[in-house]
Amino acid sequence: MSLRNLPHADPGVPDTRSGFRFLLWLGRNQVRGQVLAMFWFTLYTGALAGVPALVGLGVQAAVDGSGSRIVVAGCLTLALGAVIAVSDSLGHWAAVTNWITAATRVQQLLARKAAELGSVLTRRVAAGEVVAVSTGDVEKIGWFVEALARFAAAVLACVGLVVALLVFQPVLGLAVAVALPVLTLAVLPLLPPAQRRADDQREKAGRATELAADTVAGLRVLRGIGGEDLFLRRYRDASQEVRAAAVRSARMWSLIAAIQVALPGLFLVGVVWYGVRLASDGRISVGDLVTAYGCIAYLLLPLRMFEEIAMAWTFSRTSATRAARVLSLRRDTEVDVADGVPEVEAFAGGDLVDPTSGLTVPAGSFTAVVCGDPDTAGRLADRLGGHSPDGAGAASPLLGGVALDRVPLETARTAVLVQDKDPVLLSGTLRDLLDVPSSGAVTPQAALAAAECADVLSVLARTLPGPDAGAAAGERDAMGARLTERGRSLSGGQRQRLALARSLVVDPPVLVLDEPTSAVDAHTEARIARGLRTLREGRTTVVFTSSPLLLGLAERVVFVPEGEVVAAGRHQDLLRTHRGYRSVVTRVEDTASDDHTRSPRETA
Amino acid sequence: MKRPDHDPAAPQEADRLPVGSPRTVRSYVRELGRRHHRAFVVLIVVNSVASVASMVGPFLLGDLVNDLASGAEDLPVERTVAVFAAALVVQAVFVRLTRLRGAVLGERMLADLREDFLVRSVALPPSVLERAGTGDLLSRITTDVDRLSNAMREAVPQLSIAVVWTGLLLGALAVTAPPLALASLVAVPILLVGCRWYFKRGPSAYRSEAAGYAAVAAALAETVDAGRSIEAHRLGGQRVALSDRRIGQWVAWERFTLWLRMVLFPVVNATHTVALAAVLTIGGAMVLRGWITVGELTTGTLYIQMLVDPVNMLLRWYDELQVAQVSLARLVGVREVPAGSGDDRVTPAGRTVLADRVRFGYQRDNDVLHGVSLTVRPGTRMALVGPSGAGKSTLGRLLAGIYAPRAGAVTLGGAALSEMPAERVRSHVALVNQEHHVFVGSLRDNLLLARTDAGDAELWAALRAVDAHAWAEAFPEGLDTEVGSGGVALTPAQAQQVALARLVLADPHTLVLDEATSLLDPRAARHLERSLARVLEDRTVVAIAHRLHTAHDADLIAVVEDGRIVELGSHQQLVADGGAYAALWRSWHGDRAERDGGAAERDLDRAEPGGDGLVGRAGALEA
Repeated sequence: MSLRNLPHADPGVPDTRSGFRFLLWLGRNQVRGQVLAMFWFTLYTGALAGVPALVGLGVQAAVDGSGSRIVVAGCLTLALGAVIAVSDSLGHWAAVTNWITAATRVQQLLARKAAELGSVLTRRVAAGEVVAVSTGDVEKIGWFVEALARFAAAVLACVGLVVALLVFQPVLGLAVAVALPVLTLAVLPLLPPAQRRADDQREKAGRATELAADTVAGLRVLRGIGGEDLFLRRYRDASQEVRAAAVRSARMWSLIAAIQVALPGLFLVGVVWYGVRLASDGRISVGDLVTAYGCIAYLLLPLRMFEEIAMAWTFSRTSATRAARVLSLRRDTEVDVADGVPEVEAFAGGDLVDPTSGLTVPAGSFTAVVCGDPDTAGRLADRLGGHSPDGAGAASPLLGGVALDRVPLETARTAVLVQDKDPVLLSGTLRDLLDVPSSGAVTPQAALAAAECADVLSVLARTLPGPDAGAAAGERDAMGARLTERGRSLSGGQRQRLALARSLVVDPPVLVLDEPTSAVDAHTEARIARGLRTLREGRTTVVFTSSPLLLGLAERVVFVPEGEVVAAGRHQDLLRTHRGYRSVVTRVEDTASDDHTRSPRETA
Repeated sequence: MKRPDHDPAAPQEADRLPVGSPRTVRSYVRELGRRHHRAFVVLIVVNSVASVASMVGPFLLGDLVNDLASGAEDLPVERTVAVFAAALVVQAVFVRLTRLRGAVLGERMLADLREDFLVRSVALPPSVLERAGTGDLLSRITTDVDRLSNAMREAVPQLSIAVVWTGLLLGALAVTAPPLALASLVAVPILLVGCRWYFKRGPSAYRSEAAGYAAVAAALAETVDAGRSIEAHRLGGQRVALSDRRIGQWVAWERFTLWLRMVLFPVVNATHTVALAAVLTIGGAMVLRGWITVGELTTGTLYIQMLVDPVNMLLRWYDELQVAQVSLARLVGVREVPAGSGDDRVTPAGRTVLADRVRFGYQRDNDVLHGVSLTVRPGTRMALVGPSGAGKSTLGRLLAGIYAPRAGAVTLGGAALSEMPAERVRSHVALVNQEHHVFVGSLRDNLLLARTDAGDAELWAALRAVDAHAWAEAFPEGLDTEVGSGGVALTPAQAQQVALARLVLADPHTLVLDEATSLLDPRAARHLERSLARVLEDRTVVAIAHRLHTAHDADLIAVVEDGRIVELGSHQQLVADGGAYAALWRSWHGDRAERDGGAAERDLDRAEPGGDGLVGRAGALEA
């Protein structure tokens, strides 16, 4: 797999039955890359093992006074150096390619899964897991994939070395064969606690970052009302805790480092002792002694790789398990879809009926719904779109006689657009925001105008970078201005109006809006109400609201106090005739002339 | 290979706050160095001991080789082995100390850095915060501190270690066999040329690569966060395409940096090989001439091989340090913001807020307010109404002393608000806007910030004043309940109540409320405003109103349109005048406008059970 071909055209269908199977599946998809990396690493580690031999050769040549053999040793070193350089680079290339290929595949799978789950993800546990896999687990999985080839190569190199030693120096070979596992295993018991401390440090660091970010995010509040010292103190404490945790973690790692110096070192001392005796007996040459010394020092490299794979395995296993779990999530509201999917055009022009509440919205009407409380409104609005995650058990709403729960999700969403109470604005330019699948009948400009977004445009235009962000910026094309995540740089009312504009651009056959103007001032709300009605002329529109400005303009108002329809008619008539309706809609005013709550000054 | 066109690390918005100049960065680094002078010296010392101890082995081997080569009979093997083992123990102990001291130094500097930054940030003048927003600061405290973490935690100690180690090894080489040290220099030009090429391209490329990877994760996080909106608008396909595009951009940078390493790796390998070959052959020739002993040759070649580690460390961490420099400049940039220009001698005499022919704009030649004059007497409850973008919020910020007018004056008790220090302004005037941040921490902390010495009784009283005691009492741990992200999630309405409770605690005599109850259910909002009004008796309140009932309840209403006050008067007056406000009131009220305050309405009120409002409100708040 070449990096040039990434992202994958199709990341494939993962085996998510377990974490191990998922890793296996990932590995199967890049066997070639693994074999390639293993080949280069084996060559690399093998070539490195040759260096001490050449040094021994050179020293022996110097001892023997042979100029020509010194030159030969020098030339061989250069040749071996070339092999090392090539195999090191290409091995690195192959390993990095492996990890990127694996990481890309997991990220792509996650993106597809997130898009598929959609509203189901609002259940927070699932949402957090997806993000955790993307930010932390992918790297650990990639690490294991990358380290695997290095480990295999190290095993091969060690086996080769031991075999070579056994042939030429059986005692030494035996010693190495025994020492290698001991040296590898010596630090293994320390790795899990060390990693736990490192995780603890990371967790504390995350907490400190969160506190800092939180303090900064609320800085205007702090500067406006005080309490800076309180929050500084709090952050200092957290920051010092991170420091202490980091030092605690370093204590463990430094111990491991010391053991990694001491144990192979002591083995080396033993080898030197034994080697010197052999050499003084004349059983090996001086060069051989130097070679043996170099070889033992060289063994550190494969040792590190053994430790690495042990760690990578420990961490990637939990990560892979979590990734497999996330990738196996499904929409559990999936219902059997009826045969013969009807065309949206064929039914979306009909009446919208919700059997559960008894709500009927005549086709093409501008209907307002008044509920007793916001929760009831939210649930009812959500159900009207079909495939509601919380709607299990309830009868499906019918649009033009078609049960929305029984048509594919995509069809239902095309027919009915439900804008919930807290629509999320996606980051990107304003142009990106309004680039949604639509009928094409409503231009972004018309939608922005109907949602009264003129002031939002000028605020956004001011954020444009560049030298011309000056006085004339208000006039410039604000469509290129960027919205930050969730539109946080805008006020609640501004966000709400942009969200409304986005829904208007779609121009769906049926548009359901849940409190679309609750954060908008009365002047603007009145204008939006008129703009909304004009723009949606002839299309079915349902607005959940309690604002008299919107209710007054609705062709028809339905009163659904406890989740069931009790009255319908025009706002003015309902006000006059229906006590319950009046009490819900005008409760605001009921207290208006209550002398007990009015301040004494006002009544005086 | 070309650099990829798209640079994820390029700023998407202009920097709102300054980035530190090289001079500021240098002086800050010097300051840090001075502060941690001692820890630094300790690190160098323990590291030197560890390095020197590591050189004992090759040295002893050289001696043995000499003895063996000369055919000496009585080898001091036992003594040599003992010394070797002792050196090894010393090395192990000091390697441990080096790692530990390195971490201690790095962590201390890192802690200083992030704490210094926050100290500076919380002292920024409110006007700077209003203009710059908190997004830029936020990315500095998260992304930049994160990038610096690696540099401080690892790069600085590791680089110090590597430099000392390299120096000592070269020194040892020079002491053992000066000609060998010269021979090894043959390889230096290769390394210098290669590194020059690499370090010109590497750091910025790694920055872009990291930003690209973060962008991949960010796209997914957003898809997850906006799951419901994405499904409703059928944006799934677009999100997948976006993620794939981000992945493509990131991979392009990975390819680029990989290619950079494909140049660097061979250069580094060649340097090591050439140095070793040079020492072996030139050294070997010298042994033949008798200039050095074979033992010295052995020690020298082993030292040269040992150089691989510190040189690789140098290369590895130098990169990181370069990347970190950019982040450091952004962090210390906050130091270049001039401190608040408050004059400590300006003190208000009285509580009347006065705006006199105020003109103001966010950009030159583009005024938002065109000559606004307004007098708010102590104890008045005033409402500012008008369409979005008319300049209500801007006027509110001027009245709260956050901005200074371009022309005209805003005064409190005769003293210009913008000339007072921010800390004095807020003891008189407080602004609550729609941004009601709930801080991560206990509910108590969230309230205490307004008055740090307040007792629990006062906190509960404040919560009661904003109708928040019901839900707060329902919390399992009361005031100690953790709220904010990670804790109990407060609804926007509850967050708004917390913001208002803080205001009750801070208790300034003048309040500017910018749509402070906009997120509450209309009924709850009204009730809250009323209970608040009782607590804030004889405080001056300027409320930027979003619902008309707020205006209805006020003593005085100013209708702001297009940066001017077009109507001013009490509710009754304005309705009687029949202007813009009256029209709006009628449409909002339907057919009942004429009867406002009349007998019919009062009858209706009486008919309603008194507890009804409370039930409705509690329902709304729990939502």
